[in-house]
Amino acid sequence: MKKIVWLTVFFFLQILPFPFFAEGAGFMANDSKDLMTTLQTLLPREINGWKAVEKDEFYDPQTIFDYINGAGEVYRSYNFKFLLARRFSKTGQPDLVVDLFDMATSEDAFGVFTHDLEGEEAGVGQGSTYKGGLLSFWKDSFFVSIYTEEETEEAIAALFALGRKVDSSITKEGKEPEVVSFLPRKNLAEKAVHYFHNHMILNYHFYLSDENILLLNQKTEVALGIYAEGDDKNYLLLVRYPEERKASQAYEKFIQAYMPDAQEPGLVQTEDKKWTAARLRKDFIIAVFNASSASSAKEAVEQVEKKLSQE
Amino acid sequence: MLLNMKEEGMSKKIITRRDFLRVAALTPLAGAFAYGLKFPEAKEATEKARVVLIRDENALRSFKNSNPDVIHRMLDEAVATFFNEKDPIAAWKKMIKPSDIVGIKSNVWGPIPTTREVEQAIKRRIIDAGVAEENIGIDDRGVRRNPIFRKATALINARPARTHHWSGMGTCIKNYITFAPRWYEYHDDSCADLATIWKDFGLKEKTRLNILVMLNPLFHGIGPHHYSDRYVWEYKGFLVGQDPVAVDATGMRIIQAKRREFFGEDRPLKPPAKHIFLADTRHGLGVSSSDQIELIKLGWKGDILI
Repeated sequence: MKKIVWLTVFFFLQILPFPFFAEGAGFMANDSKDLMTTLQTLLPREINGWKAVEKDEFYDPQTIFDYINGAGEVYRSYNFKFLLARRFSKTGQPDLVVDLFDMATSEDAFGVFTHDLEGEEAGVGQGSTYKGGLLSFWKDSFFVSIYTEEETEEAIAALFALGRKVDSSITKEGKEPEVVSFLPRKNLAEKAVHYFHNHMILNYHFYLSDENILLLNQKTEVALGIYAEGDDKNYLLLVRYPEERKASQAYEKFIQAYMPDAQEPGLVQTEDKKWTAARLRKDFIIAVFNASSASSAKEAVEQVEKKLSQE
Repeated sequence: MLLNMKEEGMSKKIITRRDFLRVAALTPLAGAFAYGLKFPEAKEATEKARVVLIRDENALRSFKNSNPDVIHRMLDEAVATFFNEKDPIAAWKKMIKPSDIVGIKSNVWGPIPTTREVEQAIKRRIIDAGVAEENIGIDDRGVRRNPIFRKATALINARPARTHHWSGMGTCIKNYITFAPRWYEYHDDSCADLATIWKDFGLKEKTRLNILVMLNPLFHGIGPHHYSDRYVWEYKGFLVGQDPVAVDATGMRIIQAKRREFFGEDRPLKPPAKHIFLADTRHGLGVSSSDQIELIKLGWKGDILI
């Protein structure tokens, strides 16, 4: 009874963060209830002898820290709506844990998948990786993580069977973010495209500044490509702003903070003798970091401009 | 630019990638992370922070299963050495008065917790120092509601060492985040300013000892839970000290060394655990540079990595 009271308080007042459980569904707004039911129907209750145990747990952007601590920032930064966590057990075998994220859009499902690309392609969903007992994939607007606490042969077989089952339950496919398609393919390193929105994730992949000098936010769309250039890597950053005026403001701030000593507009040789080039084009900022020469930096920017002009 | 912050009265300025490149170009320590650099005048004036590293080959009975007797003995030896005492209880009495109300700030993270063995070894010695059992609490996520912690006059801070998805590393500095009502307020810039928690909630003065548990550290993480058994190794040690920054910086060096050994290349933490260095250079909570740390190594030396 006490739990019901608490759940009621949470759903109607939205003030207390804590995970909520399937049995509380009757007290939720219809939208939330529908989302939870949808997520539940995508997961089986049993796979290869592993059975779902305990109650399903659901988390939203306010409660996710209770479940995965600071890593919750990653999913929040991709605007996730709901997470369903379900644990499976089998006697004598390690548990399997499934985290099924409803990211609301396929772009964000793709994006959160690109946050951690470590591992081998696993052939599940629209893109996947497997490493160290963890299978991750995205499909449509969902991001799925399945984890075994120990890598036994049987557990890995069950983990992949579970992954394929969820994959087949999600019948639609989603589209990748358009901004990613503007990245040149030549010399693009393997598993080296990240899509995100804000400067916290930018700094995770490529530390730019402690302050948000590109004025990124949840509405900006960012593609970061990592390119092989001899033994070095260079980084191409493409940002789409919701409107041209905001792109222009951000470009001005970036130039002021990052290249006040520019040799020519939007071009600077940095302290490591590498080159950074940046350009504003309508609602886009294009920036190349760590290029080996001024000409290669400018050439990379121009390649993107060419692609954008064909838009 | 970073070095000028002191001259500018520590006023907030934008730190960009170029500051790191500039520092790296100026120092013989190629690739040095600028947050770790000190102001020379501060370095000369500061006394070295003592950190004890103790290890025992028999600290674990099996994978992630510690031996309580060995753990107790290790803690005793580390604390006695830290305080230049032969008797561990005498050493504990240098930190804790019988009238103290003591909170043992633990960490319950599922895959690698502080461990009950460590918690109980600490508690035993606090009782031996004269504190009534009802005045000792052990907690992690409930510290804000726990009556012992609410009126605590002394804290012992004990947590496992591990890499962390958002802050680079789970540290003694970070272990106090549960004293904050809204953890996310400290998440900005990869938790750069976690050290402020120690000031915001009056924890610096109350903390008598920091113990970074390195029985099974996690040196790399994957996925939403940032964990795989594959990236845990049996280091079978503790780091003990009163300066949380010195303890954490030493732990981070060991983890970095393990990553180098495992991956066969220098693979920095991602994100970098900048909160350790900023706890020193920006917040003055302790010292992070190895030349300001007196590291005393006790016990097993196999694969010590530092």
